[in-house]
Amino acid sequence: MSQPHPIGQYLIRAEPYYRPTGDEVELYRAAYAVRMPMMLKGPTGCGKTRFVEYMAWHLGRPLITIACHEDMTASDLVGRHLLDASGTRWQDGPLTLAVRFGAICYLDEIVEARQDTTVVLHPLADARRMLPLEKKGELVEAHTDFQLVISYNPGYQSIIKDLKQSTKQRFGALDFGWPPRDAEIEIVVHESGVTADLAGRLVSVGERARNLKGHGLDEGLSTRMLVYAGALIAQGVEPLAACRAALVGPVTDDPDIRDALDAVIKTFF
Amino acid sequence: MAPTVSSATVPFSAIERRLACYLRALWGRPPVLRDAGRRARVSIVAGAIRMPDVLRAETGEGIALHRAAAAHAAAHLVHSAHRFPLAKLRPIQVAIVSLIEDARIERLAWQDLPGLRRLWLPFHVARPEAIPNATSLMARLARALIDPDYQDLDGWVAKGRELFEAHRARLDDPSISREIGTLLGNDLGQMRMQFDYGRYLVEPVYRDDNAFLWEFPENPSTPLPESEPEAVQAGTVTLETDSTIEGDRADQSPDGALREISPPQAVPATEVPDAPPHRYPEWDYVIGVHRPAWCTVRERRPESGDTRAIDEILSRHEEVVARVTRLVRSAQVGHAARLRRQVEGNDLDLDAAIVAMADVRAGRTPSQRVYQRPGRIRRDLAVLWLLDLSRSTNDVVPGTGETILALARAATAVVAEAIAAADDSFALHGFDSSGREDVGYYRFKDFDEPYAEAARARLAAITGRRSTRMGAALRHAGHLLSERRAARKLIVLVTDGAPHDIDVHDRWYLALDAKRAVEEQRRAGSATFCVSLDPGADAYVTRIFGAGNYLVLDHLRRLPEKLALVYLRWAAA
Repeated sequence: MSQPHPIGQYLIRAEPYYRPTGDEVELYRAAYAVRMPMMLKGPTGCGKTRFVEYMAWHLGRPLITIACHEDMTASDLVGRHLLDASGTRWQDGPLTLAVRFGAICYLDEIVEARQDTTVVLHPLADARRMLPLEKKGELVEAHTDFQLVISYNPGYQSIIKDLKQSTKQRFGALDFGWPPRDAEIEIVVHESGVTADLAGRLVSVGERARNLKGHGLDEGLSTRMLVYAGALIAQGVEPLAACRAALVGPVTDDPDIRDALDAVIKTFF
Repeated sequence: MAPTVSSATVPFSAIERRLACYLRALWGRPPVLRDAGRRARVSIVAGAIRMPDVLRAETGEGIALHRAAAAHAAAHLVHSAHRFPLAKLRPIQVAIVSLIEDARIERLAWQDLPGLRRLWLPFHVARPEAIPNATSLMARLARALIDPDYQDLDGWVAKGRELFEAHRARLDDPSISREIGTLLGNDLGQMRMQFDYGRYLVEPVYRDDNAFLWEFPENPSTPLPESEPEAVQAGTVTLETDSTIEGDRADQSPDGALREISPPQAVPATEVPDAPPHRYPEWDYVIGVHRPAWCTVRERRPESGDTRAIDEILSRHEEVVARVTRLVRSAQVGHAARLRRQVEGNDLDLDAAIVAMADVRAGRTPSQRVYQRPGRIRRDLAVLWLLDLSRSTNDVVPGTGETILALARAATAVVAEAIAAADDSFALHGFDSSGREDVGYYRFKDFDEPYAEAARARLAAITGRRSTRMGAALRHAGHLLSERRAARKLIVLVTDGAPHDIDVHDRWYLALDAKRAVEEQRRAGSATFCVSLDPGADAYVTRIFGAGNYLVLDHLRRLPEKLALVYLRWAAA
């Protein structure tokens, strides 16, 4: 290929590490086979994004990730006219790019986007599989390889920041939770390079701290945080200090909760 | 982990929340901690851990000791599932069975949570050279069972250690405590050791009095010290927030009665009107006209109750309060928007720029407003929560054991807390009626008043009595709201049934008057939203409030969240 492919840069070159915890890989593969739009639900740091990367690599499709935020407009997704010397020029947005060239388009934290933004996904996420570019007057038919994936964290999603039923019902859903203990230990060992014994203790701390979700902590300690703590320990940081830096500090400023978490850490280290 | 040795004593009340969080984290179940005041040892009564305000030990006091005590008691609650029958055991046997049981549950706990052993160990200070009497031997045995490095040449202590280790495979079985304890108790008896149960205090100091391990006969002839489950003081803080467990336990435990710290008082509100009566017309659908000055609304001063009831509600719904507060706050400050077509800004508004460009080419004067900048849209909303205080709100909601009024109060307390935390303006009023001449109107919290102790106290004391003349109350609420300056005004009516009153027998008369009142408010600029707790409300609420302006709750447990949703839907719109 002499000309660089327009979305070649979005191809994932090396296999991302992903530890399946159930039948999610098979489910996703089946969903991709029929190009069913998918919704990945789960708390932050439990592996949703890693999973999509892994599946994109596995299926050999480029992955275009869009982090949604509340100020995002439909034109941030589909594209806009830009000014240049001779007048205006159309610039495809990331979604349009994925639709045209057949990438997996992953909208991270979809509920952060305003509801009027998410409705542009509707014609893409049903049998029509098309994207109308209103401002340009073009109707883009989705490439046969295109698939839409969204992620959303039901934990801290508020009732006002929820998806419309009409959006939700266009997706198949995969539920992600904290991995089972053994899997989580395996993940922490692989990602941080600590021993299985140390990883086991970190996971124990994580499990106990998750009991405080809703009772002082807004979210449970994520697998990602445990990996961070492990990575610090692998760098030679003393375990207590590593846990305080990676597990306690980021999640709370409440002295009572800090103290309780500290005591939990000391229970295992 | 060495205990923090500090000369300053840390009272339990100062660290109660820490301990609760600690126990919840370790065992994943909601602990019930109570302040037991001045006592020598922890005790467990009806599933609640009663902590002395101050614990003292030679090796250290303060939080490490309290934490050790709380962890020990929690380990009991997890692992000591059965009570031992007192049967014909002698006091010394009771003490030793308890001691072995302590060692058993501690061993089980630190097998899972290794740090607990390090937490408990420093408090075991018994020395092998101590004068052998029953109490010191028991303290030495306790140490021998938790500390493998401890050397003790006493034959009895060694036997106890041996027996316990021999039963290691059966740690899950509480009957080993009884077996070993009875045996060792016999031995100690044969050694002619004096033992005075009346003066005996469990050692080390972090261990509880163990009274809860025993099934006492109806009339205990020798009551154990520190063991009488005295009446639980009102006002102790319930840390239990898990509603499912709570529901189960409320039926069995004497603590169930505590749920309602301030029961609805039968004392009527001050009957003397504080303000001149307000007269409002009422719509008569039969003749198709308003009956002028038909209803009299009398404002009454609401009673003040015990704010602990509100505190208790808030701690029980801690999770919901936090969630709702976050919601309200994020809806308030997070309403970010791109302000487009501005004369100044940090970005070009592309759409405006393109139009301007097109204008330039077409030879027209372009607009100067081609910039955009991030900004915020402030909400300007005045909300009046209007609670129906009719007698029917005293009905118990099936499956919850709580009255409709209690649920409405809990929900209102939660939402009010959230709105007040977000610094929004709101009022909290209520109404009841007894005929057209006597519609009572209560202001628990007014717009300009801070949501503080006084307002909470009034909310705590709300009672359900009399009837529901909705239209008159709505008109009065609308009248009060019309005096507010706000871009949008909203009355949220929380009710449990259709309008009714003692002097009206036509079931549609008051409903259609309420409908008329809602329309009048709408014309005056105030929207009305109804949250109905009557599962059969669909029949009439649509007619009164109009489609989309009401919510019929099928599941009362979610009332606080639903109320917040109503608020936010209006606040964020």
